[in-house]
Amino acid sequence: MPQHTPHIIREFDQAMRGLADLVISMGAQARLNLARAMEALQQRDLDRCKVVIADDTEVDEAERAVDAAGMDILLRFHPVASDLRLVISSMKIAANLERISDHAVNIAKRARKMLAKPEVREVRLIEPVYLLADGQLQDALASYADRDSEKGRGLKERDQELDRMHKRVMAQLSQLLEEGGELSESYLHLLFVVRSLERVGDLAVNIGEDAVYLDRAEDIRHMKARQQDTDA
Amino acid sequence: MPREDFIAVDHFSFFYGAKQALFDIHMDIPERQVTALIGPSGCGKSTLLRNMNRMNDLIDGVRHAGDIRLNGSSLYDPKIEVISLRKRVGMVFQKYNPFAKTIYENVVFSLRVAGRNGRRELDEVVERSLRSAALWEEVKDRLHESAFGLSGGQQQRLCIARAIANQPEILLMDEPCAALDPTATLKIESLIRDLKEQFTIVIVTHNMEQATRCSDRTAFLYMGRLIEYGSTRQIFETPRQEETEAYISGRFS
Repeated sequence: MPQHTPHIIREFDQAMRGLADLVISMGAQARLNLARAMEALQQRDLDRCKVVIADDTEVDEAERAVDAAGMDILLRFHPVASDLRLVISSMKIAANLERISDHAVNIAKRARKMLAKPEVREVRLIEPVYLLADGQLQDALASYADRDSEKGRGLKERDQELDRMHKRVMAQLSQLLEEGGELSESYLHLLFVVRSLERVGDLAVNIGEDAVYLDRAEDIRHMKARQQDTDA
Repeated sequence: MPREDFIAVDHFSFFYGAKQALFDIHMDIPERQVTALIGPSGCGKSTLLRNMNRMNDLIDGVRHAGDIRLNGSSLYDPKIEVISLRKRVGMVFQKYNPFAKTIYENVVFSLRVAGRNGRRELDEVVERSLRSAALWEEVKDRLHESAFGLSGGQQQRLCIARAIANQPEILLMDEPCAALDPTATLKIESLIRDLKEQFTIVIVTHNMEQATRCSDRTAFLYMGRLIEYGSTRQIFETPRQEETEAYISGRFS
Protein backbone atom coordinates (compact mmCIF):
# COMPACT_ATOMS: atom_id res chain seq x y z
CA MET A 1 0.00 0.00 0.00
CA PRO A 2 1.26 3.52 -0.77
CA GLN A 3 1.25 4.63 2.88
CA HIS A 4 3.88 1.96 3.60
CA THR A 5 6.13 3.30 0.86
CA PRO A 6 8.37 6.01 2.27
CA HIS A 7 8.15 9.58 1.02
CA ILE A 8 11.06 10.95 -0.96
CA ILE A 9 11.38 13.60 1.75
CA ARG A 10 12.35 11.71 4.90
CA GLU A 11 11.23 14.52 7.21
CA PHE A 12 7.71 14.12 5.81
CA ASP A 13 7.60 10.51 7.03
CA GLN A 14 8.98 11.52 10.40
CA ALA A 15 6.42 14.30 10.76
CA MET A 16 3.54 11.97 9.83
CA ARG A 17 4.71 9.29 12.26
CA GLY A 18 5.12 11.94 14.94
CA LEU A 19 1.56 13.18 14.39
CA ALA A 20 0.05 9.69 14.62
CA ASP A 21 2.11 8.93 17.74
CA LEU A 22 0.85 12.12 19.39
CA VAL A 23 -2.77 11.12 18.77
CA ILE A 24 -2.24 7.58 20.02
CA SER A 25 -0.56 8.73 23.23
CA MET A 26 -3.23 11.40 23.69
CA GLY A 27 -5.85 8.66 23.35
CA ALA A 28 -4.06 6.55 25.96
CA GLN A 29 -3.98 9.54 28.34
CA ALA A 30 -7.70 10.28 27.81
CA ARG A 31 -8.52 6.62 28.49
CA LEU A 32 -6.36 6.64 31.60
CA ASN A 33 -8.10 9.79 32.86
CA LEU A 34 -11.46 8.13 32.36
CA ALA A 35 -10.33 4.96 34.18
CA ARG A 36 -8.95 6.99 37.10
CA ALA A 37 -12.14 9.05 37.31
CA MET A 38 -14.11 5.83 37.60
CA GLU A 39 -11.74 4.50 40.28
CA ALA A 40 -12.10 7.78 42.15
CA LEU A 41 -15.88 7.42 42.00
CA GLN A 42 -15.96 3.79 43.03
CA GLN A 43 -13.29 4.01 45.74
CA ARG A 44 -14.27 7.49 47.01
CA ASP A 45 -10.69 8.60 46.52
CA LEU A 46 -10.22 12.37 46.76
CA ASP A 47 -6.56 12.29 45.68
CA ARG A 48 -7.44 10.43 42.52
CA CYS A 49 -10.17 13.00 41.77
CA LYS A 50 -7.52 15.71 41.98
CA VAL A 51 -5.12 13.79 39.73
CA VAL A 52 -7.77 13.43 37.01
CA ILE A 53 -8.59 17.13 37.15
CA ALA A 54 -4.90 18.07 37.03
CA ASP A 55 -4.05 15.61 34.25
CA ASP A 56 -6.67 17.12 31.98
CA THR A 57 -4.22 19.90 31.20
CA GLU A 58 -1.92 17.27 29.66
CA VAL A 59 -4.69 16.25 27.28
CA ASP A 60 -5.38 19.92 26.49
CA GLU A 61 -1.69 20.38 25.71
CA ALA A 62 -1.70 17.24 23.59
CA GLU A 63 -4.60 18.63 21.54
CA ARG A 64 -2.63 21.81 20.91
CA ALA A 65 0.44 19.74 19.97
CA VAL A 66 -1.58 17.65 17.48
CA ASP A 67 -3.00 20.81 15.90
CA ALA A 68 0.46 22.39 15.69
CA ALA A 69 1.97 19.24 14.16
CA GLY A 70 -0.91 19.00 11.68
CA MET A 71 -0.55 22.65 10.68
CA ASP A 72 3.19 22.19 10.31
CA ILE A 73 2.68 19.26 7.93
CA LEU A 74 0.06 21.17 5.94
CA LEU A 75 2.39 24.14 5.56
CA ARG A 76 5.62 22.30 4.88
CA PHE A 77 4.62 19.27 2.88
CA HIS A 78 1.23 20.05 1.27
CA PRO A 79 -0.08 16.53 1.87
CA VAL A 80 -2.63 14.95 -0.45
CA ALA A 81 -4.64 11.74 -0.60
CA SER A 82 -4.11 9.40 2.40
CA ASP A 83 -1.51 11.80 3.86
CA LEU A 84 -4.03 14.64 3.86
CA ARG A 85 -6.67 12.36 5.35
CA LEU A 86 -4.30 11.39 8.16
CA VAL A 87 -3.71 15.05 9.04
CA ILE A 88 -7.41 15.93 8.95
CA SER A 89 -8.57 12.86 10.86
CA SER A 90 -5.80 13.25 13.47
CA MET A 91 -6.81 16.83 14.21
CA LYS A 92 -10.49 15.89 14.45
CA ILE A 93 -9.78 12.87 16.65
CA ALA A 94 -7.67 15.03 18.97
CA ALA A 95 -10.66 17.36 19.45
CA ASN A 96 -12.85 14.36 20.35
CA LEU A 97 -10.25 13.02 22.79
CA GLU A 98 -10.05 16.39 24.49
CA ARG A 99 -13.81 16.28 25.05
CA ILE A 100 -13.55 12.72 26.37
CA SER A 101 -11.00 13.90 28.91
CA ASP A 102 -13.36 16.74 29.85
CA HIS A 103 -15.98 14.11 30.61
CA ALA A 104 -13.44 12.29 32.81
CA VAL A 105 -12.99 15.57 34.68
CA ASN A 106 -16.77 15.96 35.00
CA ILE A 107 -16.96 12.48 36.52
CA ALA A 108 -14.08 13.24 38.91
CA LYS A 109 -15.78 16.47 40.03
CA ARG A 110 -19.06 14.64 40.61
CA ALA A 111 -17.12 11.96 42.56
CA ARG A 112 -15.52 14.69 44.68
CA LYS A 113 -18.90 16.23 45.50
CA MET A 114 -20.26 12.81 46.45
CA LEU A 115 -17.54 12.47 49.09
CA ALA A 116 -19.44 14.95 51.24
CA LYS A 117 -22.40 12.58 51.29
CA PRO A 118 -22.85 9.02 52.53
CA GLU A 119 -21.76 6.23 50.22
CA VAL A 120 -24.44 4.99 47.78
CA ARG A 121 -24.66 1.37 46.69
CA GLU A 122 -25.98 2.40 43.27
CA VAL A 123 -22.49 3.39 42.15
CA ARG A 124 -22.26 -0.24 41.02
CA LEU A 125 -24.87 0.55 38.34
CA ILE A 126 -22.27 2.72 36.63
CA GLU A 127 -19.60 0.04 36.15
CA PRO A 128 -21.19 -1.79 33.15
CA VAL A 129 -21.88 1.53 31.45
CA TYR A 130 -18.25 2.48 31.88
CA LEU A 131 -17.01 -0.87 30.57
CA LEU A 132 -19.06 -0.50 27.41
CA ALA A 133 -17.99 3.12 26.85
CA ASP A 134 -14.34 2.31 27.48
CA GLY A 135 -14.49 -0.73 25.19
CA GLN A 136 -15.81 1.52 22.44
CA LEU A 137 -13.11 4.07 23.06
CA GLN A 138 -10.42 1.38 22.95
CA ASP A 139 -11.70 0.06 19.63
CA ALA A 140 -12.07 3.57 18.24
CA LEU A 141 -8.42 4.25 18.98
CA ALA A 142 -7.42 0.90 17.50
CA SER A 143 -9.41 1.65 14.34
CA TYR A 144 -7.34 4.82 13.92
CA ALA A 145 -3.98 3.29 14.81
CA ASP A 146 -4.51 0.21 12.59
CA ARG A 147 -6.46 2.04 9.85
CA ASP A 148 -9.19 -0.54 10.43
CA SER A 149 -12.29 0.89 8.79
CA GLU A 150 -14.43 -2.16 9.62
CA LYS A 151 -13.78 -1.71 13.33
CA GLY A 152 -14.48 2.02 13.03
CA ARG A 153 -17.68 1.41 11.09
CA GLY A 154 -18.97 -1.07 13.69
CA LEU A 155 -18.87 1.43 16.54
CA LYS A 156 -22.11 3.15 15.52
CA GLU A 157 -24.10 -0.04 15.93
CA ARG A 158 -22.35 -0.96 19.15
CA ASP A 159 -23.20 2.47 20.53
CA GLN A 160 -26.88 1.54 20.47
CA GLU A 161 -26.22 -1.01 23.20
CA LEU A 162 -24.59 1.71 25.27
CA ASP A 163 -27.54 4.01 24.61
CA ARG A 164 -29.97 1.34 25.78
CA MET A 165 -27.96 0.70 28.93
CA HIS A 166 -27.70 4.44 29.54
CA LYS A 167 -31.48 4.82 29.35
CA ARG A 168 -32.02 1.87 31.66
CA VAL A 169 -29.64 3.17 34.34
CA MET A 170 -30.99 6.72 33.95
CA ALA A 171 -34.50 5.36 34.58
CA GLN A 172 -33.36 3.51 37.71
CA LEU A 173 -31.54 6.56 39.07
CA SER A 174 -34.43 8.90 38.20
CA GLN A 175 -36.80 6.69 40.15
CA LEU A 176 -34.53 6.76 43.17
CA LEU A 177 -34.27 10.53 42.82
CA GLU A 178 -38.06 10.89 42.77
CA GLU A 179 -38.30 8.85 45.95
CA GLY A 180 -36.29 11.61 47.66
CA GLY A 181 -34.24 11.21 50.82
CA GLU A 182 -30.76 12.21 51.89
CA LEU A 183 -29.12 10.36 48.98
CA SER A 184 -31.01 12.32 46.32
CA GLU A 185 -28.11 14.62 45.62
CA SER A 186 -25.77 11.66 45.07
CA TYR A 187 -28.26 10.08 42.66
CA LEU A 188 -28.32 13.34 40.74
CA HIS A 189 -24.51 13.24 40.50
CA LEU A 190 -24.66 9.67 39.24
CA LEU A 191 -27.16 10.72 36.57
CA PHE A 192 -24.57 13.18 35.26
CA VAL A 193 -21.85 10.51 35.42
CA VAL A 194 -23.94 8.14 33.31
CA ARG A 195 -24.67 10.96 30.93
CA SER A 196 -20.91 11.63 30.57
CA LEU A 197 -20.21 7.98 29.83
CA GLU A 198 -22.92 7.93 27.20
CA ARG A 199 -21.26 10.98 25.59
CA VAL A 200 -17.90 9.17 25.65
CA GLY A 201 -19.56 6.46 23.57
CA ASP A 202 -20.81 9.09 21.09
CA LEU A 203 -17.35 10.62 20.84
CA ALA A 204 -15.85 7.16 20.26
CA VAL A 205 -18.30 6.77 17.37
CA ASN A 206 -17.02 10.08 15.97
CA ILE A 207 -13.45 8.76 16.18
CA GLY A 208 -14.50 5.58 14.40
CA GLU A 209 -16.07 7.67 11.63
CA ASP A 210 -12.82 9.59 11.24
CA ALA A 211 -10.92 6.28 11.09
CA VAL A 212 -13.20 5.14 8.24
CA TYR A 213 -12.47 8.41 6.44
CA LEU A 214 -8.77 7.89 7.01
CA ASP A 215 -8.76 4.33 5.74
CA ARG A 216 -11.36 4.43 2.97
CA ALA A 217 -11.98 8.14 2.27
CA GLU A 218 -15.66 7.53 3.03
CA ASP A 219 -17.73 10.06 4.93
CA ILE A 220 -20.15 7.94 6.98
CA ARG A 221 -21.26 10.74 9.31
CA HIS A 222 -25.00 11.39 9.66
CA MET A 223 -25.79 8.48 7.35
CA LYS A 224 -29.23 7.94 8.89
CA ALA A 225 -30.25 11.57 8.39
CA ARG A 226 -28.89 11.54 4.86
CA GLN A 227 -30.73 8.30 4.08
CA GLN A 228 -33.97 9.83 5.38
CA ASP A 229 -33.42 12.89 3.16
CA THR A 230 -32.94 10.60 0.17
CA ASP A 231 -36.06 8.58 0.98
CA ALA A 232 -38.22 11.70 1.50
CA MET B 1 -24.80 22.03 -22.82
CA PRO B 2 -20.99 21.87 -22.67
CA ARG B 3 -19.76 18.79 -24.45
CA GLU B 4 -18.19 16.10 -22.24
CA ASP B 5 -15.97 14.82 -25.04
CA PHE B 6 -14.97 18.16 -26.51
CA ILE B 7 -11.49 16.72 -26.96
CA ALA B 8 -11.84 12.97 -27.43
CA VAL B 9 -8.54 11.14 -27.18
CA ASP B 10 -9.45 7.78 -28.67
CA HIS B 11 -7.05 4.89 -28.03
CA PHE B 12 -4.21 7.15 -29.09
CA SER B 13 -0.65 5.88 -29.34
CA PHE B 14 2.32 7.87 -30.53
CA PHE B 15 5.82 6.94 -31.68
CA TYR B 16 9.03 8.90 -32.12
CA GLY B 17 10.57 6.59 -34.71
CA ALA B 18 10.92 3.19 -33.01
CA LYS B 19 10.30 4.60 -29.55
CA GLN B 20 6.71 4.50 -28.38
CA ALA B 21 5.91 7.57 -26.26
CA LEU B 22 2.16 7.12 -25.71
CA PHE B 23 0.30 3.85 -25.23
CA ASP B 24 -3.40 3.60 -26.04
CA ILE B 25 -4.47 6.81 -24.28
CA HIS B 26 -8.23 7.04 -24.03
CA MET B 27 -9.90 10.02 -22.36
CA ASP B 28 -12.62 12.60 -22.93
CA ILE B 29 -11.77 16.19 -22.06
CA PRO B 30 -14.85 18.29 -21.30
CA GLU B 31 -15.70 21.63 -22.85
CA ARG B 32 -14.92 24.82 -20.94
CA GLN B 33 -13.19 23.10 -18.09
CA VAL B 34 -9.56 23.00 -17.08
CA THR B 35 -7.89 19.61 -17.39
CA ALA B 36 -4.44 19.11 -15.91
CA LEU B 37 -1.96 16.54 -17.21
CA ILE B 38 0.46 15.49 -14.49
CA GLY B 39 3.21 12.93 -14.21
CA PRO B 40 6.98 12.60 -13.89
CA SER B 41 9.33 13.89 -16.58
CA GLY B 42 9.19 11.76 -19.69
CA CYS B 43 5.74 10.34 -18.92
CA GLY B 44 4.30 11.68 -22.16
CA LYS B 45 2.15 14.54 -20.92
CA SER B 46 3.74 17.18 -23.17
CA THR B 47 3.72 14.75 -26.08
CA LEU B 48 0.00 14.25 -25.58
CA LEU B 49 -0.58 18.00 -25.30
CA ARG B 50 1.40 18.72 -28.43
CA ASN B 51 -0.59 16.14 -30.32
CA MET B 52 -3.76 18.09 -29.59
CA ASN B 53 -2.69 20.68 -32.17
CA ARG B 54 -0.43 18.36 -34.18
CA MET B 55 2.72 20.20 -33.22
CA ASN B 56 4.54 16.89 -33.20
CA ASP B 57 4.01 16.67 -36.96
CA LEU B 58 7.04 18.95 -37.25
CA ILE B 59 9.30 16.14 -35.98
CA ASP B 60 10.69 13.64 -38.46
CA GLY B 61 9.80 10.00 -38.11
CA VAL B 62 6.75 10.35 -35.89
CA ARG B 63 3.63 8.29 -36.33
CA HIS B 64 0.47 7.62 -34.41
CA ALA B 65 -2.33 5.13 -33.99
CA GLY B 66 -5.85 5.87 -32.81
CA ASP B 67 -7.39 9.31 -33.07
CA ILE B 68 -7.95 12.64 -31.38
CA ARG B 69 -11.20 14.45 -32.15
CA LEU B 70 -11.90 18.11 -31.46
CA ASN B 71 -15.60 18.79 -31.06
CA GLY B 72 -16.35 15.64 -33.01
CA SER B 73 -13.98 16.08 -35.94
CA SER B 74 -10.73 14.13 -36.26
CA LEU B 75 -7.46 16.03 -36.08
CA TYR B 76 -6.13 13.61 -38.62
CA ASP B 77 -8.94 14.01 -41.13
CA PRO B 78 -7.13 14.49 -44.47
CA LYS B 79 -9.43 17.43 -45.20
CA ILE B 80 -8.19 19.32 -42.13
CA GLU B 81 -5.44 21.85 -42.75
CA VAL B 82 -2.97 22.18 -39.92
CA ILE B 83 -3.05 25.98 -40.22
CA SER B 84 -6.81 26.09 -39.68
CA LEU B 85 -6.43 23.60 -36.83
CA ARG B 86 -3.98 25.89 -35.05
CA LYS B 87 -6.56 28.70 -35.23
CA ARG B 88 -8.88 26.48 -33.22
CA VAL B 89 -6.20 25.54 -30.74
CA GLY B 90 -4.05 28.21 -29.07
CA MET B 91 -0.87 27.29 -27.26
CA VAL B 92 1.13 28.84 -24.44
CA PHE B 93 4.63 27.60 -23.64
CA GLN B 94 6.75 27.26 -20.55
CA LYS B 95 9.08 30.11 -21.42
CA TYR B 96 7.23 33.27 -22.35
CA ASN B 97 8.21 34.11 -25.90
CA PRO B 98 6.81 37.44 -27.11
CA PHE B 99 8.01 38.59 -30.50
CA ALA B 100 10.44 41.51 -30.80
CA LYS B 101 7.56 43.78 -31.53
CA THR B 102 5.24 46.13 -29.68
CA ILE B 103 2.62 44.83 -27.28
CA TYR B 104 -0.04 45.70 -29.84
CA GLU B 105 1.70 43.90 -32.70
CA ASN B 106 2.27 40.82 -30.58
CA VAL B 107 -1.45 40.46 -29.97
CA VAL B 108 -2.51 41.02 -33.58
CA PHE B 109 0.34 39.02 -35.14
CA SER B 110 -1.77 36.06 -36.21
CA LEU B 111 -4.47 38.32 -37.62
CA ARG B 112 -1.95 40.22 -39.71
CA VAL B 113 -0.52 36.90 -41.00
CA ALA B 114 -4.07 36.04 -42.05
CA GLY B 115 -4.28 39.35 -43.91
CA ARG B 116 -6.65 41.00 -41.47
CA ASN B 117 -5.35 44.54 -41.17
CA GLY B 118 -8.45 46.64 -40.51
CA ARG B 119 -7.55 49.11 -37.80
CA ARG B 120 -10.88 48.96 -36.05
CA GLU B 121 -10.94 45.18 -35.93
CA LEU B 122 -7.37 45.00 -34.71
CA ASP B 123 -8.02 47.59 -32.00
CA GLU B 124 -11.02 45.60 -30.82
CA VAL B 125 -9.06 42.35 -30.79
CA VAL B 126 -6.21 43.93 -28.84
CA GLU B 127 -8.49 45.32 -26.16
CA ARG B 128 -10.62 42.17 -25.89
CA SER B 129 -7.60 39.84 -25.78
CA LEU B 130 -5.66 41.92 -23.28
CA ARG B 131 -8.74 42.28 -21.08
CA SER B 132 -9.28 38.51 -21.19
CA ALA B 133 -5.63 38.04 -20.27
CA ALA B 134 -6.05 40.46 -17.34
CA LEU B 135 -3.37 42.74 -18.81
CA TRP B 136 -5.34 45.60 -20.36
CA GLU B 137 -5.29 47.93 -17.36
CA GLU B 138 -1.54 47.50 -16.96
CA VAL B 139 -0.56 48.16 -20.59
CA LYS B 140 -3.34 50.19 -22.21
CA ASP B 141 -1.21 53.36 -22.16
CA ARG B 142 1.85 51.74 -23.69
CA LEU B 143 0.48 49.44 -26.35
CA HIS B 144 3.04 50.62 -28.87
CA GLU B 145 6.03 50.02 -26.66
CA SER B 146 8.23 46.92 -26.88
CA ALA B 147 6.85 43.76 -25.31
CA PHE B 148 10.27 43.18 -23.79
CA GLY B 149 9.66 46.07 -21.40
CA LEU B 150 7.08 43.98 -19.55
CA SER B 151 7.79 41.84 -16.50
CA GLY B 152 8.03 38.06 -16.91
CA GLY B 153 4.50 37.53 -15.65
CA GLN B 154 3.17 40.27 -17.93
CA GLN B 155 5.03 38.78 -20.90
CA GLN B 156 3.41 35.41 -20.24
CA ARG B 157 -0.02 37.04 -20.00
CA LEU B 158 0.77 38.81 -23.29
CA CYS B 159 1.51 35.40 -24.81
CA ILE B 160 -1.87 34.22 -23.52
CA ALA B 161 -3.50 37.31 -25.08
CA ARG B 162 -1.74 36.45 -28.35
CA ALA B 163 -2.88 32.83 -28.12
CA ILE B 164 -6.53 33.82 -27.65
CA ALA B 165 -6.59 36.73 -30.15
CA ASN B 166 -8.01 34.43 -32.81
CA GLN B 167 -10.64 33.22 -30.36
CA PRO B 168 -9.62 29.56 -30.42
CA GLU B 169 -11.86 26.90 -28.94
CA ILE B 170 -9.04 25.28 -27.01
CA LEU B 171 -6.08 26.65 -25.10
CA LEU B 172 -3.13 24.34 -24.49
CA MET B 173 -0.66 25.37 -21.81
CA ASP B 174 2.67 23.61 -21.35
CA GLU B 175 3.94 24.45 -17.86
CA PRO B 176 2.90 28.09 -18.29
CA CYS B 177 4.18 29.17 -14.89
CA ALA B 178 7.46 27.26 -14.78
CA ALA B 179 9.53 30.40 -15.39
CA LEU B 180 7.50 32.75 -13.17
CA ASP B 181 7.76 33.92 -9.56
CA PRO B 182 5.01 32.94 -7.08
CA THR B 183 3.01 36.17 -7.45
CA ALA B 184 3.06 36.04 -11.24
CA THR B 185 2.17 32.34 -11.01
CA LEU B 186 -0.91 33.05 -8.90
CA LYS B 187 -2.04 35.72 -11.38
CA ILE B 188 -1.77 33.25 -14.26
CA GLU B 189 -3.60 30.60 -12.23
CA SER B 190 -6.39 33.07 -11.48
CA LEU B 191 -6.49 33.95 -15.16
CA ILE B 192 -6.78 30.28 -16.11
CA ARG B 193 -9.85 29.97 -13.87
CA ASP B 194 -11.39 33.01 -15.62
CA LEU B 195 -10.48 31.85 -19.13
CA LYS B 196 -12.30 28.55 -18.78
CA GLU B 197 -15.56 30.48 -19.16
CA GLN B 198 -14.55 30.95 -22.81
CA PHE B 199 -12.10 28.19 -23.63
CA THR B 200 -11.44 24.51 -23.04
CA ILE B 201 -8.07 24.46 -21.32
CA VAL B 202 -5.54 21.65 -21.06
CA ILE B 203 -2.52 22.38 -18.89
CA VAL B 204 0.64 20.40 -18.32
CA THR B 205 2.12 21.04 -14.90
CA HIS B 206 4.72 19.62 -12.57
CA ASN B 207 3.24 21.62 -9.73
CA MET B 208 0.72 19.51 -7.80
CA GLU B 209 -0.66 22.49 -5.91
CA GLN B 210 -1.19 24.28 -9.20
CA ALA B 211 -3.15 21.32 -10.53
CA THR B 212 -5.35 21.33 -7.43
CA ARG B 213 -5.89 25.09 -7.57
CA CYS B 214 -6.55 25.46 -11.30
CA SER B 215 -8.02 22.33 -12.74
CA ASP B 216 -11.39 20.63 -12.70
CA ARG B 217 -10.02 17.31 -13.90
CA THR B 218 -6.64 15.70 -13.61
CA ALA B 219 -5.01 12.96 -15.63
CA PHE B 220 -1.97 11.14 -14.30
CA LEU B 221 0.37 9.69 -16.91
CA TYR B 222 3.29 7.40 -16.24
CA MET B 223 5.65 5.89 -18.80
CA GLY B 224 3.37 6.87 -21.65
CA ARG B 225 0.25 5.37 -20.14
CA LEU B 226 -2.80 7.03 -18.69
CA ILE B 227 -2.86 5.61 -15.17
CA GLU B 228 -5.82 7.52 -13.75
CA TYR B 229 -8.18 10.27 -14.86
CA GLY B 230 -10.90 11.87 -12.77
CA SER B 231 -12.07 14.98 -11.02
CA THR B 232 -9.16 16.84 -9.47
CA ARG B 233 -10.78 16.46 -6.06
CA GLN B 234 -11.01 12.70 -6.46
CA ILE B 235 -7.47 12.33 -7.76
CA PHE B 236 -5.96 14.32 -4.90
CA GLU B 237 -8.25 13.09 -2.12
CA THR B 238 -8.92 9.47 -3.03
CA PRO B 239 -6.75 8.28 -5.90
CA ARG B 240 -7.76 4.79 -6.98
CA GLN B 241 -4.40 3.69 -8.34
CA GLU B 242 -1.39 3.14 -6.11
CA GLU B 243 0.92 4.74 -8.69
CA THR B 244 -1.18 7.91 -8.62
CA GLU B 245 -1.11 8.13 -4.84
CA ALA B 246 2.63 7.41 -4.78
CA TYR B 247 3.31 10.18 -7.30
CA ILE B 248 1.06 12.93 -5.92
CA SER B 249 2.15 12.30 -2.34
CA GLY B 250 5.85 12.34 -3.16
CA ARG B 251 6.57 8.64 -2.72
CA PHE B 252 7.80 8.04 -6.24
CA SER B 253 11.35 6.78 -6.47
